[in-house]
Amino acid sequence: MGVLSAIQPFELHHHHTASTTSPLKGDYYQYLAKFKCGDERKEAADQSMKTYQNNTPESIRLISMQTFTSMMNEILNPSTPKSTVSSIFKTLIHSLLHSPESHHSQILKLITDLSSHHPSLAQLALDSLQSMLPQLTDPPSQLTIEYLDALVNISERPVEVDDSLFTSICLAASFPVRLWMVRNSGCRVMVRPKLLYPVLMGMTKEPYPCVREESLEALVRLGECAVFEEVSLVKGCYERGVQLLSDNEDCVRISAVRVVALWGLMLASFNVDMKTYWSNEVFAMLCSVVRDMNMKVRVEVFNGLGKMEIVSKELLMQSLSKRVLVLDQSPTEQFVLLASNVAGALVHGVEDEFFEVRKSVCQSLRALTVLSVEFAHAALNLLMDVLNDYKVEVRFQALETMHHMAINHCLELQENYMHKFLDVLEDNSSEVRFSARKIVRLMKLRNHLLFKSTMDVLLKNLDSYPQDEADIFSVLSHLGRNHKQFVDLIANEIADEVTASFEGNREFNSARMAALLVLSISAPFLNADVGPIPPVIFSFAATFLSRICCAFSDVMNRDTLLEYLIQKSSSMVQPEVNISNGEGQNPLAKDDVQNVAGNEMIHSEITINNGEGQLPLSKYNVQNVALEMKPPNDVGQHKQPVHDSVVLTYINYILVKLPNIWPKVQSYSANEVLCSLRHWKEELTSLTFDSSAPADASAFALLYLKIIKLVVEVWDHLVRKTEVVSGTVELEDKLEKLDRRAKELMNRFVGFSAEEEISVLELILLTYTLRLCRAEICSRNFIFKRMTIIYLRTESFLKLRSDVASGFVAELGNLIRESSNGGASCSSLAFDNCLKLFSPKRLMIPEGIRHRRAELSIPNNCPDYPLPFAPGLTASIPCDITIHNISSNCRAWVRMCINDGFTQHVYLDLQSFEVSGEVRKISYAVPYYRTPEVDSFNLKVCIGLESLFENVTPVQAHGGPKCELVLLCEEKIVYLSRVL
Amino acid sequence: MAIETLVLGAGQEVGKSCVVVNINGKRIMFDCGMHMGVSDHRRYPNFSLISPTGDFDTALSCIIITHLYCINTLFLRFHYFLIIKISHSLILYSYIFFFGIICDSHLDHLGALVYFTEVCGFHGPIYMTVLIYSTVRWVEPNKHCHLNSICTINIPKQGNHHVHSIHSHQLSKTIRIIACIFLYPTKALAPLMLEDYRKVLVERRGEEEQFNSDHIAECMKKVIAVDLRQTIQVDKDLQIRAYYAGHFTLFEYLTLILKVLGAAMFHAKVGDSEMVYTGDYNMTPDRHLGAAQIDRLRLDLLITESTYGTTIRDSKYAREREFLDAVHKCVSAGGKVLIPTFGLGRAQELCILMDDYWERMNLKVPIYFSAGLTKQANVYYKMLINWTSQKIKDSYPTNNAFDFKNVCKYERSVLDTPGPCVLFASPGMISGGLSLEVFKRWAPFENTLVALPGYCLPGTVGHVLMSKPPKIELDPNTKIDVRCQVHQLAFSPHTDSKGIMDLIKFLSPKHVILVHGEKPKMVSLKEKIHSEMGIPCYHPANNETVSVPSTVYVKAQASDAFMERCLKPNFKLHKCSSQELSIKTLTDKNIVPELQVINEKAVFIVEDKSKKLKVVHNDEVLVMLGEKKTED
Repeated sequence: MGVLSAIQPFELHHHHTASTTSPLKGDYYQYLAKFKCGDERKEAADQSMKTYQNNTPESIRLISMQTFTSMMNEILNPSTPKSTVSSIFKTLIHSLLHSPESHHSQILKLITDLSSHHPSLAQLALDSLQSMLPQLTDPPSQLTIEYLDALVNISERPVEVDDSLFTSICLAASFPVRLWMVRNSGCRVMVRPKLLYPVLMGMTKEPYPCVREESLEALVRLGECAVFEEVSLVKGCYERGVQLLSDNEDCVRISAVRVVALWGLMLASFNVDMKTYWSNEVFAMLCSVVRDMNMKVRVEVFNGLGKMEIVSKELLMQSLSKRVLVLDQSPTEQFVLLASNVAGALVHGVEDEFFEVRKSVCQSLRALTVLSVEFAHAALNLLMDVLNDYKVEVRFQALETMHHMAINHCLELQENYMHKFLDVLEDNSSEVRFSARKIVRLMKLRNHLLFKSTMDVLLKNLDSYPQDEADIFSVLSHLGRNHKQFVDLIANEIADEVTASFEGNREFNSARMAALLVLSISAPFLNADVGPIPPVIFSFAATFLSRICCAFSDVMNRDTLLEYLIQKSSSMVQPEVNISNGEGQNPLAKDDVQNVAGNEMIHSEITINNGEGQLPLSKYNVQNVALEMKPPNDVGQHKQPVHDSVVLTYINYILVKLPNIWPKVQSYSANEVLCSLRHWKEELTSLTFDSSAPADASAFALLYLKIIKLVVEVWDHLVRKTEVVSGTVELEDKLEKLDRRAKELMNRFVGFSAEEEISVLELILLTYTLRLCRAEICSRNFIFKRMTIIYLRTESFLKLRSDVASGFVAELGNLIRESSNGGASCSSLAFDNCLKLFSPKRLMIPEGIRHRRAELSIPNNCPDYPLPFAPGLTASIPCDITIHNISSNCRAWVRMCINDGFTQHVYLDLQSFEVSGEVRKISYAVPYYRTPEVDSFNLKVCIGLESLFENVTPVQAHGGPKCELVLLCEEKIVYLSRVL
Repeated sequence: MAIETLVLGAGQEVGKSCVVVNINGKRIMFDCGMHMGVSDHRRYPNFSLISPTGDFDTALSCIIITHLYCINTLFLRFHYFLIIKISHSLILYSYIFFFGIICDSHLDHLGALVYFTEVCGFHGPIYMTVLIYSTVRWVEPNKHCHLNSICTINIPKQGNHHVHSIHSHQLSKTIRIIACIFLYPTKALAPLMLEDYRKVLVERRGEEEQFNSDHIAECMKKVIAVDLRQTIQVDKDLQIRAYYAGHFTLFEYLTLILKVLGAAMFHAKVGDSEMVYTGDYNMTPDRHLGAAQIDRLRLDLLITESTYGTTIRDSKYAREREFLDAVHKCVSAGGKVLIPTFGLGRAQELCILMDDYWERMNLKVPIYFSAGLTKQANVYYKMLINWTSQKIKDSYPTNNAFDFKNVCKYERSVLDTPGPCVLFASPGMISGGLSLEVFKRWAPFENTLVALPGYCLPGTVGHVLMSKPPKIELDPNTKIDVRCQVHQLAFSPHTDSKGIMDLIKFLSPKHVILVHGEKPKMVSLKEKIHSEMGIPCYHPANNETVSVPSTVYVKAQASDAFMERCLKPNFKLHKCSSQELSIKTLTDKNIVPELQVINEKAVFIVEDKSKKLKVVHNDEVLVMLGEKKTED
């Protein structure tokens, strides 16, 4: 900078005498502006602009390219001060007036850029350019066009040009000038249609092909926006287009086709009486160029054909036959004239080498098939051929056209076409398959066989394209709804197959089963008559709920579907089903009895038609039933009785299924069982709850399922004795997990009835037995001890209810009595024998079951905002604790673990909690004593309950809990960092 | 001026294509074929009509052959015969077994060439469209030849010539190929065919030799290659250009010979007169071949073939669909499908069709291709990509359309493997070889399908099969029970009458001459062209001359003012005066545009004193008239 200021006086002094110094001075300031910054820079820039402005006309010639570039930089730079920009702007306008024409295009470009970057100046630029325009129009030259171009670019709206300017430009000697005008007229330059039309018509006779093309395009634009009231004008334009259809240049022909299509239709719409006549003319005219050698012309032709509004049937039929048709009645004069032009136009299009053309034909058929039913039938033949096309796009378009036809009720798939059409359902392009299925949804099939084969193809589809499952289900549901009579015919077959598979003879969860269920439950959808579909089908369908609910998403949501299923399944009690399945096999047997009173009403008044899927009447009924069933002691249940009872029933369903699968476990088909367990688990986790009771029930069921799942897994390992070395660790892990879960089941739920408690205890005994089969000698005694306690408890329960112990429990009892020295003497084999006797009991969700759980949150704590602590001093951790269903005589603890394994327990005084019903809340600052000498550390905090259930291993912690802790919530991580 | 067309061959008949056109003083011979059906002097065109003195060099500017050939490899598995299958019909020449069965359409187009150039003595240029150029010398196995020659086959591979040398002991003792250099096909096969033909005529029929092997070689030296859409300036005035005609096939017979045959349309322009000679062409695209493509030209004359002048073919799609349905039905019922084909050409098309279908339908039934020529077909289509359909061009850069996903290589064990399959087996007409063997095994089963793609010559099993007999007697000892289903597929590479009409309509020439067709068909087509398009049409017989007027542009000088006006739009706008407007009612005002276009076409042609024509603008006329007056 020092250098710059040093040279400044010298430089100025050096130049100040000469008249040509000013621009150089301007350049100099410009140069300065590049190096300086901030205010200084602004000053320099302003200075340079001022210098430019003061220039004389002669000297401005010396503005160098470099100046333009630096101006450009200033314009593009967003930080350039406003004053500089406006001074640049003034300079530019000024130089337009005074600099030679060779500079003008550069300057105009700068002005355009400036206006786009600084919109505030745009209007000013427009005005000044407009004022300069008149001087340049005589005669119009390239420069005029450059001015206009700049105007058009700056202005956001189309620029209006006065008539004389427009005509003089259009008649200009220079062809690029004319081309520009024609190209922009009607879009960026506004000209009155009355003036534009004759000029464009004249321009279509230009010797230059590109001007001809552009004038035709402009006519298309004009036709799209302007309204003409004079027939002769429209006709004139149409005829001009027709003439140019035989132009030698491809590009002209393309535009001519568009003109013919657009103006021809305008012509046709002028007179209602002549509409058909003119439409036929236009149709034939377009068809006559269908054999053009240029692919784009052909595409354009079919695009044009797709816009036809009315065409006589004979001509349409003619377009499908290469031979001239012999008509039944004497043909009209017009037909005789046009027939040979039209002959086979669409057939040629379909046979075309270029897929773009074939695609376009299919699209045009969409409009044409609407015009005549007979034609639609004939065109379908053509479309069926197109389904063989090698291009996915073409096949897809053909199907879309068929779909369009189906919507317009002109699609009639005959039997011989059906075969081909069903092939398409198996197409390997998903796009095509989806499109084909869209058509199936709308189809009305004529006979039972077609229905059956369609169904078979869809089911086959499920195997080959599992990813399409949701869509296929949805199609099946439509198919069922549309063809109730056919579904009824095969209902028994389906029922047999489904029942068989549910009884464990085949796989439970196959997509096929779900699909069959969808089909059969959709049949009685819109009418109350269930027909021959056995109610048990509906109850089976409920187990697939989340999988199939999307199939009905167009008419009802998931909850309504469930309700619908439950109502249908309970609406008619078929005694034979109950008998065949045995007492208690039908999960709804209990409900059925209670529902009997309300049955008639539910059955007759069920109406499912609104999209929301609400069932107002049935809701009321079920509510009544629910009130009967449940003692009115729970507030939550009163709010949403329907939903909750439904959910409970549903959960019971799943639990009832469990005993059924046991034979499969014993027959070593664990994989299948696991698969269905996983499926049920998913179903359960996807349930939503409105109140706590079903949530508790569902939590119980979920845990129960998890245990069963682990049991099955472990069973598979143990009983089959096929463990490999790598599996051993895994097995240990699973056994540990099983143990943990079993304890959870015991401790975290309260409110079992005696019978249920026995089932649960039995399950726990099973888990111990499994462990004993496996365990090392050292841990054996301990487990055995625990098992003995549980056994004694079970026995006492049994005695209380004077029940007979199951084979498993009895055998286990014998074993325990025999072994005097803590089970160590018992061989694994003995336990194995016990295991073989085990079979799970049917378990219903206990009505009063409560889930003991806790919610723990530490407010304002995350890795970014750690809690403060000072090493060695007690840190307090603020906790918001909510515990559910825990009575005040329980002993609850907060457990805090640090990474090195040290654990600290803090006793929670339940009396101090704020009590509302079964929920207790407290905000409590938990103290942590042993803060380490580190900068930061993490604590894992959670809430546990002392397990009073089996007090076998007292934990010898100082001041800690005396029994094992059962965790009630997830561990939370607390971040602490040292106070600086 | 007129364009004179002298039809030397193929006038009101099929075969012996030869048309001499005198256009603006240039005489061009299109095709130089011979008639395969006759053996006397009528076999060749009557060349004396061109020049009674025999001075053909001055009488003719050039010869253009529209049909081309290309030869790839000579497989010498069977040494004793050579059969060439060419578009219309089947066998050119079978060395031992079928002597004398010579009916080849491509000789229709160039059969008489050597005779004309060498014997009659024409030394001017000969043009052929060319794909690959090779010179093949076919050496007759006779006592004069030594048996230990070495065979060399050169295959161009991106400019480098690979040389495969095969020792003679690998070859038959009777036939040796000396060289087969791959570059230009027309020249490749032409001499081969001609040489064979010569031998058949001379040696078997004992006819007088009309030309010898040296003549063939000499003739081929005169041939100049033309690429598609390449414009060739023959001399100062004459310019020719070849267009793709969509008539192009690959053939193979018993893995013996593989070649490409195709045709082109030729556009010739002399001065202001233009004409097109089509040869054979096809307007309907195929799976592997595109439709003919030509620009819109201002033609004075179109000479077109009219083989199928009255036929209109239905959509090919319907036939394909039937075929696919039949095959699908058969394989899904567990049956076997036999498709007897030649290894290439039509087989390739069917393969594309089926491979697509398999792909779409996810069918897993194997397709076997017995002739191991897929690889060679790939080589071919890669070289000839310009001659194929859009489908193949599209898929060419990414994956070759002939890398079939579902087609497996045939192995003998396939024959006895149970379960469904599809087998392409050669030869096409079940005349022997594998296809006959397979036929014998499979024909007795009801769930077998035999699909015959194409025409079967009388005397072959294929031909008999078409009548669906319960039994076929191969020889007195062998009878086959035929219980299988038979499906026939018809394809033809020629255009139908709709195609001819479409081409004429697109080109809109001023005159049309029909050749290469039967007379009644020509007559009806001629009527149709005349009535529907109003284009004068002729169908001359052989040795007749048709003269049609040609466009002649007169040279004239244009004035500067005229030139200037020409660059501007030739109309001006007339503005309605305000008086006129005021008279009209309000509604009229909206309708009638204020400006009306007035055409400014006034152009005057004046003849000045030096008898030169001059074009002037109407503005100038007054001035000129004024000058004249003062002069007078």
